[in-house]
Amino acid sequence: MRHVGLKARMAVVGSILFGFYAVAAVVVMGVFQWPLALVLLGSVLFVGVQYKIGKWMALRSVGAEDLPEERAPDLHRRVESLSRDMGIDKPRLMIASMGVPNAFAVGRKGAGTVVVSQELLRTLDDDEVEGVLAHELAHIRNRDVVMMVLGQGIASIVAIVAQWAVLLTGDNDIADFFLAIVVGQLTQMLVMLFVFAISRYREYVADSDAAAEIGSGEPLARALEKISSGAQRRDGEVDAQVNALCIFDDRGGLANLLATHPPVEKRIERLRSR
Amino acid sequence: MTDIRTLLAAVLGVILGLLCLLAPEAVVRAQTVGRRPDGRGGEYGTDADSDRWRRLVQVLGGGCLLLGLYFGYTTLW
Repeated sequence: MRHVGLKARMAVVGSILFGFYAVAAVVVMGVFQWPLALVLLGSVLFVGVQYKIGKWMALRSVGAEDLPEERAPDLHRRVESLSRDMGIDKPRLMIASMGVPNAFAVGRKGAGTVVVSQELLRTLDDDEVEGVLAHELAHIRNRDVVMMVLGQGIASIVAIVAQWAVLLTGDNDIADFFLAIVVGQLTQMLVMLFVFAISRYREYVADSDAAAEIGSGEPLARALEKISSGAQRRDGEVDAQVNALCIFDDRGGLANLLATHPPVEKRIERLRSR
Repeated sequence: MTDIRTLLAAVLGVILGLLCLLAPEAVVRAQTVGRRPDGRGGEYGTDADSDRWRRLVQVLGGGCLLLGLYFGYTTLW
């Protein structure tokens, strides 16, 4: 059985998220007298719209363009070969200028898109790019993007319900409005803690899958190492003022709790110890 | 008599304000995961966000902290 650890963790986190959602649904049914079918339909529509708009916005926000096969035949060949080996349809391949080396996947199995930045292609060697592509394809195969959208959707629904519950039970004075906004934000943060936890584990799984597909964890480890050492050099020059206030930036226990990705050093270590 | 809801607004407002000031990236992330690509302002394999968003969250957090303190002051004194 593949990814037993991931399935077990998904069962736990999924149950917790369902618990939050169930409470929110019961509140909506009680306060607004909505039937269960309407609550479920509204939730599916909400998450569906988030998924569609999210995909469109993600591509638009980085100015992603289609990467024609004749412009990068080698890259297309690699993606096609990896997709075949991983048992998924070849995703749409796009390129963007993001100012930093980056790559991400959006969409689902059968309708996925992988975006790579020009900076990433300039920074990495061919086998390192292959490691990154395999990692992104693993995200599509494991439905990680869909899971994140679903997690965000549940967190948003629970937060909106909490916010309205506070508003509707108060006196509508300024303190009540403020309380409603604060409760909404804190509720969203609370639910997202569980989404972050599963996201971090999914990164390890995608790393492990990528290493298995290309036969070694070394190319991806080297890619992460190269990119992170470049980032550290830049960090010395920029955002010193902002970082001065960010006490969690040293990636201690609390920083890890609030992150979607595990520390790069740990990922590199795991990839090399395979 | 102390208004419980106003006191709650004060306490939670201060908590959220401090969170926004001290961990702005986490607040941005909670809103953007699943809606925006990872590491847009950072790098591949990280979830760093751009300075602009962090600063905006810190400014809003400062406002939230002040409002929380104000409600606390008006309720308790």
